[in-house]
Amino acid sequence: MRRRIHPGLALVAAVLLLIVAVALFAPWLAPADPTRQSLLLRLKPPGTQTAAGQMFWLGTDDLGRDLLSRVIFGARASLAVALLSVMVSGVVGITLGMLAGWFRGWVETVLMRFVDIMLSIPAILLAVLTVAVLGPGFGKLILVLALTRWSRYARVAYAQTLQVAGLPYIKASELAGARTARILWRHILPNIAGPLLVVATIEFGLMILFEASLSFLGLGIQPPAPSWGSMMSVGRAYVERAWWIVAFPGAALFVLVFCVNILGDVLRDRLDPKSTLR
Amino acid sequence: MRKHHAMQLLTKLATAAALCAILVAPSLAQAAKDLLTIDAPNDAATLDPQLQWDTDSYGVYRNIFDNLVTRDGTGTIVPQIATAWRNIDDTHVVFDLRSDVTFQDGTPLTADDVVFSIKRITNPALNSAQLSQFDQIIDATAESPTRVLLTTKAPYPVLLAQLVKLSIVPKAYVERVGNQEFNVRPIGSGPYRVREWQKGVQVVLDANATYWRGTPPFKTVIFRAVPDVSTRIADLKSGRADLIRLMPPDEAVALKSNAALTVLTVPTERVGYMFINAQAGVTADPKVRKAIAYGIDKQGIIDALLQGFGKPVGSIGAEPIFGYLPDIAGYPYDPAKARALIKEAGAEGKELTFLTSPAYDRRIVEAIQQMVNDIGLKVNITMLDQASFLRRRQGTPNDAGNLAIGVWSCACQDADGIIFPLFRTGSSWSKYSNAAFDTAVDAARSTLDTGKRLANYRTAYDILREDVPGLGLYQSYAFYAARKELQWQPTPNEALFVMDMRWK
Amino acid sequence: MLRYALGRLLQSVVAVFGVLTIVFVVMRFAGDPTLLLMPEGASQEAIDALRHSLGFDRPILVQYLDYLGNLARLDFGVSVVQHIPVLDIVAARLPYTLELATGALLVAIGLGLPAGVAMAMGRGGWLESLLGTAVLAGQSMPTFLSGVLLIAVFGVWLGWLPTSGADDLSALVLPALCLGALSMSTFARVARIAMIDELGRDYVRAARARGMSRLSAVLRHVLRNAAIPVVTIAALEIGNLLAGSVIVETVFAWPGIGQLAIQSIQSRDFLIVQMIVLLTSVIYVLTSLLADVLYGVLDPRIRLAR
Repeated sequence: MRRRIHPGLALVAAVLLLIVAVALFAPWLAPADPTRQSLLLRLKPPGTQTAAGQMFWLGTDDLGRDLLSRVIFGARASLAVALLSVMVSGVVGITLGMLAGWFRGWVETVLMRFVDIMLSIPAILLAVLTVAVLGPGFGKLILVLALTRWSRYARVAYAQTLQVAGLPYIKASELAGARTARILWRHILPNIAGPLLVVATIEFGLMILFEASLSFLGLGIQPPAPSWGSMMSVGRAYVERAWWIVAFPGAALFVLVFCVNILGDVLRDRLDPKSTLR
Repeated sequence: MRKHHAMQLLTKLATAAALCAILVAPSLAQAAKDLLTIDAPNDAATLDPQLQWDTDSYGVYRNIFDNLVTRDGTGTIVPQIATAWRNIDDTHVVFDLRSDVTFQDGTPLTADDVVFSIKRITNPALNSAQLSQFDQIIDATAESPTRVLLTTKAPYPVLLAQLVKLSIVPKAYVERVGNQEFNVRPIGSGPYRVREWQKGVQVVLDANATYWRGTPPFKTVIFRAVPDVSTRIADLKSGRADLIRLMPPDEAVALKSNAALTVLTVPTERVGYMFINAQAGVTADPKVRKAIAYGIDKQGIIDALLQGFGKPVGSIGAEPIFGYLPDIAGYPYDPAKARALIKEAGAEGKELTFLTSPAYDRRIVEAIQQMVNDIGLKVNITMLDQASFLRRRQGTPNDAGNLAIGVWSCACQDADGIIFPLFRTGSSWSKYSNAAFDTAVDAARSTLDTGKRLANYRTAYDILREDVPGLGLYQSYAFYAARKELQWQPTPNEALFVMDMRWK
Repeated sequence: MLRYALGRLLQSVVAVFGVLTIVFVVMRFAGDPTLLLMPEGASQEAIDALRHSLGFDRPILVQYLDYLGNLARLDFGVSVVQHIPVLDIVAARLPYTLELATGALLVAIGLGLPAGVAMAMGRGGWLESLLGTAVLAGQSMPTFLSGVLLIAVFGVWLGWLPTSGADDLSALVLPALCLGALSMSTFARVARIAMIDELGRDYVRAARARGMSRLSAVLRHVLRNAAIPVVTIAALEIGNLLAGSVIVETVFAWPGIGQLAIQSIQSRDFLIVQMIVLLTSVIYVLTSLLADVLYGVLDPRIRLAR
């Protein structure tokens, strides 16, 4: 396949890098403390300047906090949640999927039936249930997301491992007495990385939206820490009077997820064109 | 092929949609006079009035049933099915009943039905969540078709206030159809009868033309379940609903500018309060609790976040509540003094857990968090779902968090329903214990003498002020919004009596 | 083939049983509904009494065996919150969810397929970029926001469509759009890939050589061949639609099982949650079983690979 730079792909990459940079350098970029409230400065429109000279470039939210600072810091929460949950669920899911595909037999039966079980519970219900048991918190949120999503990686890793395991050179290294861990790590993983990368990219976008949905149900990142999802679920009540509260985090989240989705689409075309996965 | 099929279906759907819009619009306008549509956050959980105690079930079924006694617009307890009542002694009350009331199936309402209603709700086998409101009644007997005698375990001053919540159900019908059927197709003596209950969607009520208090104002009333507040507001604006229940103050203010709509508010018996754990963590130190009391700007919260819809209170009570004493002053907002107290207690920088759930106003929680942070503590918010919140809040002191807010209503307008469960030693809500306080509230609930009761509540509230196991913040307002044509004055007990509403 | 299908069916039963067990245990660790049911200020004795008479003070294992026993007799129980048989409650909601899922699938397929076809035909050009962007945009926004915007524009501002409820077909349009937008790009992608594959084949070239226009060649042959993956994906999408419907149904006051599920979890109405999970896992298992068997029938290589 001829490798051609997708028109706009450079732009997408640039935007994603920019968002990552904003998240990394949030404390230096934000003009104010993102959690500092001022009840007298609630719902101020973008461009409001106080008598003391503080400028609210994007306005203030329903507790008089600087929206720009919250959008900047919100990038951290949204990216961190997505990144960590993708990593945790990816590592768990891929490991289990590869084991099932490599060992076959009862390992395969047990693991893959378990994957079936996890897949057949609607993710959001499982998440709400587990949050109810575990309680809130950043670490637990990651755990909940990983718990509900690892099965997706496992299924793909399993199917791919099945295909790759029969390749002659892998048979050869097995016969040569290589350790299983080494075969899986050195030979199988690189061969199945493409489709898994596609899954991870798509999941990354989904996880950002998923955190937002949990915020809508009151179970996402704990206040007062800002995440784009929680800012939007607050701001949607103010669409008519204070559009900026939902518009800026909404636009930021949309751009992020959209760019990730484009990336996922391009990766899929390159690495896994026949896939029918979501 | 598939695509064609799909496209055809889509086109059909679009045409159908357009047609429906055309057909529905004029018929809505015509029906408007006879129809009242109310949007509530949830569907009624049950229509059997003796099982459930959530606001949305209550809002519906109270229009289907009559109660023994009720409250008028000012909150005074007035006759409904009972015409008069008198205490024979400390534990016996006699009620005279109306003789002209019939249930919607034509059978007359007699003392037997009243006795049946009381015995039914106090029977543990019914599994009624309301049992605890009536478990002080140990016997009910019909002395004549229009006279009932109630016996209470001990002198029970809030008996009448509890009976406001007792709906009279038809003995013969319930016994004939059984509890499960009665819950789905209830019959009462009230102004409305159930035409159809689409679970999770809506309850459709028809006027009871022979209602003894007069003809109900609307031929049909629909209670719809619309969980999202933004959607309820959209329903109201688009004319899909005439009256909506429950919205945050900011939304209420925004609707005020809409000329076609009116915002209805009323101070309720609900008290916004803050719980401060006196038995665990840094708040076990009374100095810290006092500091927090000084550090909270009630007026600031009311002005900015409640948009003025709230009255600051000095203690955990409010005007409509018996036992509330407005002259017991609260703590003034004095952050400097609060910081000094924290320093004195050596609690600077100590961490507090603030338990909350989506049921409570997030804005107020976050505002209080900052106020308490500003006096030198560090507050972490823990947002749980309501069931988990209650489990922890009513669990052991160490698990209950240091702070929590609530909007308390016992629907009995009596201090006995507020500070007794909140702070009496041994109550699940209480994370506090003071023998003098226990004595006072125990004494206040076991006498019918209002003078003695008030004196005891004064003692109790004074102790609470000194110990600060909780902090009264404001008297809460109920918010409704309606089309301008609807005439209605909501009441402090948050009842949705359709009988009190009219089209202008 | 039959043995394979039977084996899968047996495994599916085990899977459903596993789902029920996991959800049962997790639910019980999340507490019981007693405190939610009680009026504020109820005494500890009253709380304990109700908990006891509802049976939530028994050991989890006893409750579990009790539940399984009832299940074996096809007795799904009575909701402790609503005092109505769970089967009736869920059955009343199911048609709404099916209606919404159908509507969303129609939107996703009705918009996604033509977009995918057009993208394939205009490959490399501006049309592909434009449509590709549009279908991806549809799944880049949380439904709780897109829903509120749809209501504000079409329900309140323009007044074309109902703002909430499920009275008639017109009320289905907005929630179906909101939910369907999530799956649109999946179908567009499948259609596009199938198209690109097929467009290069000899029979399409031959058809064009016979003078048929490019478009009618596509419609005659290509869509018929691409139909199988689309049907399979539609079956698999049902699971995603059920999950997505939780938020959409809440926003639009659409009385389906998604809304019921979330409310029942929040009110700890265990038996309803169990019933819904049973239902969704059976649907999931059946659709994936069907997809597998279909694939097995159509393509023996897959059967051998298992």
